[in-house]
Amino acid sequence: MNTVVLGRACRAEWTKLRTETGFRWLLVGLVAVTVAVGAASCDGARSVGDPARLALSGVTAGQAVAVVLAVLSVSGEYGSGLIQLTLSAVPARTTVLAAKAAVLSATVAVTGGVAVLGSLLLGHLLLAGGPALTDGSSLRAALGSVLYLVLVTLLALGVGFAVRDGGVASGTVLALLYLFPLLTHVVTDPWLQRQLARVGPMPAGLAVQATTGLDRLPIGPWTGLGVLALWTGAALLLGGAVLRRRGA
Amino acid sequence: MDGGIEIEGLRKRFGATQALDGMSFVVRPGRVTGFVGPNGAGKSTTMRVVLGLDAPDAGRALVGGHPYRSLAEPLRRLGSLLDTGALQPSRTARNHLLWLAHTQGLPQSRVDHVLGQVGLADAARRRAGGFSLGMRQRLGIAAALLGDPPTLMLDEPFNGLDPEGIRWIRALLVSLAAEGRAVLVSSHLMSELEGVADHLVVVGRGRVVADTGVRELLDGVAAGRVILRTTSPTAAATVLARAGATVRPSGPDALTVTGVSGEAIVSLLAGNGVSFAELSAHRVTLEEAYLELTREAVQFRASSDPEAGR
Amino acid sequence: MRTTREVRKMRPTGSMRTLHAEWTKFRTVRGWVLGCVGAALATVLFVLIGTVSSNQHPGGAAALPVGPGGEAVDDSYSFVHRTLTGDGSLTVQVTALTGVLSDPNGGPGRTSPGVTPWAKAGIIVTPSLTPGSSYVAVTATGAHGVRMQDDYVHDRAADLTGVPSPATPQWLRLVRAGRNVTGYDSTDGTHWTEIGTASVPGGAVQAGLFVTSPAAVQTDGGGGSSPATATGTFGRPALTGAWQGGWAYAQVGQDAGASGSYVPGTTGGYRANGDGAGVGFSITGAGDIAPVVGGPAGGPAFTVETFLVGTFVGLIVLGVLAAQFAAAEYRRGLLGLTLAATPKRGRVLGAKAVLVAAVAFVVGAGAAAVTLPLGEARAHAVHFAVLTVPAAEQLRAVLGTGLLLAAAAVLALSLGVLLRRSATAITALVAVTVLPYLLALGGMLPTGPAQWLLRLTPAAGFAVQQALPRYEQVLSVYTPANGYFPLPPWGGFAVLAGWALAALAAAAFVLRRRDA
Repeated sequence: MNTVVLGRACRAEWTKLRTETGFRWLLVGLVAVTVAVGAASCDGARSVGDPARLALSGVTAGQAVAVVLAVLSVSGEYGSGLIQLTLSAVPARTTVLAAKAAVLSATVAVTGGVAVLGSLLLGHLLLAGGPALTDGSSLRAALGSVLYLVLVTLLALGVGFAVRDGGVASGTVLALLYLFPLLTHVVTDPWLQRQLARVGPMPAGLAVQATTGLDRLPIGPWTGLGVLALWTGAALLLGGAVLRRRGA
Repeated sequence: MDGGIEIEGLRKRFGATQALDGMSFVVRPGRVTGFVGPNGAGKSTTMRVVLGLDAPDAGRALVGGHPYRSLAEPLRRLGSLLDTGALQPSRTARNHLLWLAHTQGLPQSRVDHVLGQVGLADAARRRAGGFSLGMRQRLGIAAALLGDPPTLMLDEPFNGLDPEGIRWIRALLVSLAAEGRAVLVSSHLMSELEGVADHLVVVGRGRVVADTGVRELLDGVAAGRVILRTTSPTAAATVLARAGATVRPSGPDALTVTGVSGEAIVSLLAGNGVSFAELSAHRVTLEEAYLELTREAVQFRASSDPEAGR
Repeated sequence: MRTTREVRKMRPTGSMRTLHAEWTKFRTVRGWVLGCVGAALATVLFVLIGTVSSNQHPGGAAALPVGPGGEAVDDSYSFVHRTLTGDGSLTVQVTALTGVLSDPNGGPGRTSPGVTPWAKAGIIVTPSLTPGSSYVAVTATGAHGVRMQDDYVHDRAADLTGVPSPATPQWLRLVRAGRNVTGYDSTDGTHWTEIGTASVPGGAVQAGLFVTSPAAVQTDGGGGSSPATATGTFGRPALTGAWQGGWAYAQVGQDAGASGSYVPGTTGGYRANGDGAGVGFSITGAGDIAPVVGGPAGGPAFTVETFLVGTFVGLIVLGVLAAQFAAAEYRRGLLGLTLAATPKRGRVLGAKAVLVAAVAFVVGAGAAAVTLPLGEARAHAVHFAVLTVPAAEQLRAVLGTGLLLAAAAVLALSLGVLLRRSATAITALVAVTVLPYLLALGGMLPTGPAQWLLRLTPAAGFAVQQALPRYEQVLSVYTPANGYFPLPPWGGFAVLAGWALAALAAAAFVLRRRDA
């Protein structure tokens, strides 16, 4: 892949993304939703199990906004026929996918970083005895949460290219994220519960937020994020394959 | 209730753009009214206001004497073609018309009838998303014909059609008008309406520039214009200019002369010893007449600018 | 001729025509029809995942007893009983209710004296010793005074409060006359106060003294439970009427049941206390005579909600369909054609709303009607307890699931009109329904915010699926995390319906005001 071409494609994608209707509102929404839900969780929490995890619980809601951002950047192009223009300007499909992925990752990393730092700061203020901002496990939780948001965004990007329709793509990604924890909640069998928590993109990925009781987790923090990365990789491969095989 | 559309003083502003600026005209039954103007002159907006899709800031539009949104079975009063892309790609052509028919309580047989009328009977059960531009155009016209309405309103129906398709639409429009229907057809290319339109409404910048019969327009523009072929154009031009004629070169050895009659030209040239090969009355095309008209409109606009936006 | 018939057939009013047209629009897009089928299938299939079990109950701890009202019950107690063949009365003095509690933090074997609030020592009349039988009882309790209870779900407070002791004994009496049994209490055995009347089936019944005790429940913090055993001391029972045979002892329900357990080192049993006045009894027991509830008092079991977990898949799929049904009009300018055919914009929106609501209701109620019996069959196959609920409650859960999806579909449709993009609309729908549910029930949020989420957001509507009622006479942790919604089933649904209607009104307003 030619780096000059990729660089230009990235610039083009960035211009498209930032001029997308509601782009700014989505970024504001990501930060606001994440911080608000985190603050609500911390406020009035009596028993603090894992302070970092509690403060960062807003990520579960904020990721939905990241999903919309990624899906719209694809479905908007297919809906309007803009994709034909995009592909005539950058005929290498992989370059288009890579450029979109890079631009979305950077955007969500920065925005998600603001959201995660804000959540931790509020948690620090609201929670008695939690979370220390500088120790290693808190840093891992913070960095991991940002990476989690980026991986979820890329997952949505892959699914977006695979199904092209915005509604179906969002529905698929959100179902994939939220159904595993819902199932974990109703399943009574402990073995199955543990397995669901290990393979589900959201429960496994969010294991990276854990700062206490690591030995009792169904899956280790970085391993969990790795599971999410596998999901994301699979979605991007699928999306890329569809993009290459099918006409625009 | 008869056909026809009345448009009275429509004004509509989109942000900084005054899209309609006092648009008024009438579409009468039994003839094809051409609705002409450059892109952005307000043709589509006018049509959207007629259909009640856009609300005007001022003025009103009546279909057969009633506002469109008050009609109980609107497709039986006015058939329209606005946007040929307005269809769900995965639906078949027949199903696309079927749901439209259901809104008006029309039977399925009517759907099959109009599909035959526009020549889509064989493609009726194919996904409309796979249609060519010409087929979509035909499907859109089928939708307009569905309610057998006394009035039709078609926005740029010639767009993207091959010559055969253009010929087909022209014949269709003429026959619809001959049946006594009022037909409004917009176009940004005057040449497309040549031989079709009986009446012209020319618009520019959101208002009517000319509202005239095609015959009178052509006659008015053509009056007194004579083509002169001569081997000595310079001499001829001097002689004629001296007599008060306006002379413009229109070829290597041809001149367009206005302001003096053909007989006067002959006697002037003969009297001054200028030889000429041919003298003929000029046949103007609709396109030329239109350019003439819009040139005047631009001048009119420039001179009346202080009053614009009144 | 065909034409005239069809014209007559389609004579109905404009609204019906619009509805007919929207239905044609809906059914002629294959993806939407397949989506509906997929939503129903996914809802049903999810119950198979939800009920997977690695067979942790071989041989079958099996089904919980079912009470006369059809609900799952606990019916485990220590019982000293005789047969009463006709009318008669039983009077006894309770002189003590004491007990032993496991210390939840003290490790195995550490116990402390004490009774749980709903530990019971009293008298009971029941036609059979089979768990789940009808009964009427008057009983002293650990912390709720004298109560008269019958058929598990009914509970009445008497005027006597406090715990019986030798200094302040509590006198209890049950009088059977025909089908009616009337309960009384007294402080001195002379002056009696009537508490109430309930009925038991005619014929021979077992009547006598019983003791039982539910496990101790930690209502704050994690909400666990720990074993508790109670002992009641009774004076000599005074009998009148048609009694047969002698006193016999039974541990009804074999064990302490789902909501109780014996403190290690204790067992159920009785002792006859001889004294000058005759024979009294000391009875030791654990368990409960009460409906099963969710949370720590319920123990592990499948509930109706477990079987309906697929509703979430159905909601997302139908939400996508409804949002697209609106957003597809905005893509490609189809809305212009729709409104040219039906200029009354409110009517178009109304027809769309009726249509998606009807489709979603059919899919939801149909899937739920298949899911519940399927889930129960699966649970029995893996020998897992099921908290049975009465048929009326099951019907409510089935119809409620349909209505829940119908309201969610209307909400999605309205969001589609307001936001004009199906991707944004479906995300908004999930964010206001599934996400609050997950945050509240997943135990991520503390109880306070969780309850507010389930009161205010459209997620409140999931309450309509809640099949387990809360009972004052059963101590548990009635929080969202244990499946208890802060609002009653129809109240919660009303919140969701309110949101859906408000969104629909906003969509209608915007549709009328906005240029199409």
